[in-house]
Amino acid sequence: MKKRMKRLAAVGLVAAMTGSMLLGCGGGKDSGDDKTSDGKVKIRFATWDDASVLDDQQACVDKFNESQDKIEVVLEGWGSDFDTKMTASMGAGDAPDVMYMWDYPTYSESLEPLDEYINKEGEEYKNNFFEALWPYNSIDDKIYGVPVSVVTSCMYYNKDLFDQAGVAYPTDDWTWADVAKASEEIQSKLDSVNGFTLPIGTLPYTLEMYLWSNGTAFVDENGKLDGNINSDKSVEVFKTFQDMEKDGVLYASEESGQTEMLGGKTAMYVDGTWPIKQFEEEGLNYGIVQIPKFEGTEHSISVINTSGIAISKDSKHKEEAWEFLKYWTGEEMNKHRIETELPALKSVVESEALREDPNCAPFYTALDNCAGYTPSSFIAEGWTEVDADIQLAFESIINPSSLADPKEALDEVVASHE
Amino acid sequence: MKKFKWKTVTPYLFILPWIIGFLVFTLGPLIFSLCISFFDWPVVGERTFVGLGNYIEMFTSDKQVLKSLTISIKYAAIFVPLNICIALFLAMLISQPLKGIKVYRTIFYIPAVVSGVATSVIWSWVLNSDYGILNYLLSLIGIEGPNWLVDPAWAILAVVIVSAFGVGTMMLVFYTNIKGISAELYEAAALDGAGPVRQFFSITLPIITPTLLFNLITSIISSFQQVTLVMLLTGGGPMKSTYFYGLMTYNNAFRHHKLGYASANAWVMFIIILCLTALVFKSSSMWVFYENEVNSGTKKKKRRKK
Repeated sequence: MKKRMKRLAAVGLVAAMTGSMLLGCGGGKDSGDDKTSDGKVKIRFATWDDASVLDDQQACVDKFNESQDKIEVVLEGWGSDFDTKMTASMGAGDAPDVMYMWDYPTYSESLEPLDEYINKEGEEYKNNFFEALWPYNSIDDKIYGVPVSVVTSCMYYNKDLFDQAGVAYPTDDWTWADVAKASEEIQSKLDSVNGFTLPIGTLPYTLEMYLWSNGTAFVDENGKLDGNINSDKSVEVFKTFQDMEKDGVLYASEESGQTEMLGGKTAMYVDGTWPIKQFEEEGLNYGIVQIPKFEGTEHSISVINTSGIAISKDSKHKEEAWEFLKYWTGEEMNKHRIETELPALKSVVESEALREDPNCAPFYTALDNCAGYTPSSFIAEGWTEVDADIQLAFESIINPSSLADPKEALDEVVASHE
Repeated sequence: MKKFKWKTVTPYLFILPWIIGFLVFTLGPLIFSLCISFFDWPVVGERTFVGLGNYIEMFTSDKQVLKSLTISIKYAAIFVPLNICIALFLAMLISQPLKGIKVYRTIFYIPAVVSGVATSVIWSWVLNSDYGILNYLLSLIGIEGPNWLVDPAWAILAVVIVSAFGVGTMMLVFYTNIKGISAELYEAAALDGAGPVRQFFSITLPIITPTLLFNLITSIISSFQQVTLVMLLTGGGPMKSTYFYGLMTYNNAFRHHKLGYASANAWVMFIIILCLTALVFKSSSMWVFYENEVNSGTKKKKRRKK
């Protein structure tokens, strides 16, 4: 009898465990419901941030929720898994209502076109965003995301190293020949310092800005590679860098350049706004100027690393989602994020006098210069594979152990994709 | 009608949670990925049935498949023997009866506990050609170190070196086996005049062959599945010289969003690993030595003598 009781208890325990597991799954489904217990519309919002930023974002979301009596936004921090999770959730038809977005070419089919919503807000609403940002948030002239931040690229230089070598600081008008000259002088006077550093791992997305600066691009408006990526002007860009490397005035680095800059190992390198915070914290004596231009061009053109906020096509509450999107991309939030991200709204740049700030002004000058350019990834179909091949071509051109002929390497990219 | 017997059902009820876990999280996805591999399956948009199309494409038009496979095989060919030798050597060291040996045991095992991500980041600094500590140490003895992560000829070796860092687990498996060998055997051998080298090859090595087989198979499998390390350390570069098969599969799925094709990649790898493992198992009868086989054999002989 006692034995039997024991057995029954065991069975009961297992049943309870299994039951709770199944319930757990069931509970998961319930939370996918679009209403909260108090009858508010539930909006899921996915970001790629984690840790410290996420706490701040949660506070901002809470603030929005407090101001609303019909909407409740739930923040989901997907961190570095963002793209993998987005791929999976869209594949499963379980995408969040509102999300951070940058890879429009891949996901646009699952996103809601926002032109109507934007038009409803009026001309003034749209014009308050920097024009250069819209192409980065559109596919085929349809807007799929509202810009939330801006990052352009500029050239950083180490003032101390320039002073020690007695070389004049770079200016916005420098050409690559000027960079080569300064680099040589600095290297001749200072030991174990590289004049200019270019990361071997520069992504094609970033590389294209040098092509734009020299009056060409990876593809034309129809997405055709031939005659563009392998054009004379494009080859000239790659050849310029390779020649500089061969002359020893350009260092092809396996790192991003940021650590080299911070450690006083390089006098110049090109980057976005990301390292500023660290440079300030470490007390680096640096300056920022426009990216060097190519001989015979008016100014260089920077690529923009912008992200937008998008709405899922499958969302059941698009109006509410738009309401939250407006909050997240609005003036208040732009100001709130000013420490970490440059605002995408003209009115905020104006009111905060960012064009007078030496750490911001060059990036806005670059932004003014780059209106009207669209990355090839937004134009051509099936870009990711071309992208991988361009990266390989660039690597083979700039890697000191191969130094492939630029024309041949670029022709090869064209040949394998036409 | 048969009476319902609790006795027969109870054990299954106990393992039910794990069975469910296996079905939902292992077998289910496995079968699902096999199904996907017969489709053109983008993340968004239409899914179309292509039959064996993905598999045919792999071996006809996609040159990268064979290249990546070669790289993975090359890696496995260097990594597996090297790793086993190092693990065995370290296991021999830490089984010596010395004072403070526990400290060394811990030190050797620590790298195996460190996450692959941290290992990759640290080693990318160590291997940096310009200011990495490895090349600095080499320069002290007058050798100019190669550009580990920049030169395609050296990068795969750099990956092997870094993965050898995680040798601790294998070492521990060897160690427990070596510790279990009875001291009498060594004493007897010493009396017969066998030195340490002879003892190792005639006693230790034959006895641990089952463990060797286990380590061989698991390290072949893990070397083919290596992704984390190359993804973080080299990103498949320089110039795709470390573009392992696993990384290619990952990129096809999550960078190029060809889920069907990537599933086909994964299944081909599964079959390759299966064949290799089967091959090793088949060969094991020639070189793996099981103590109980011998024991029972001698007993039989003894009986016959009687």
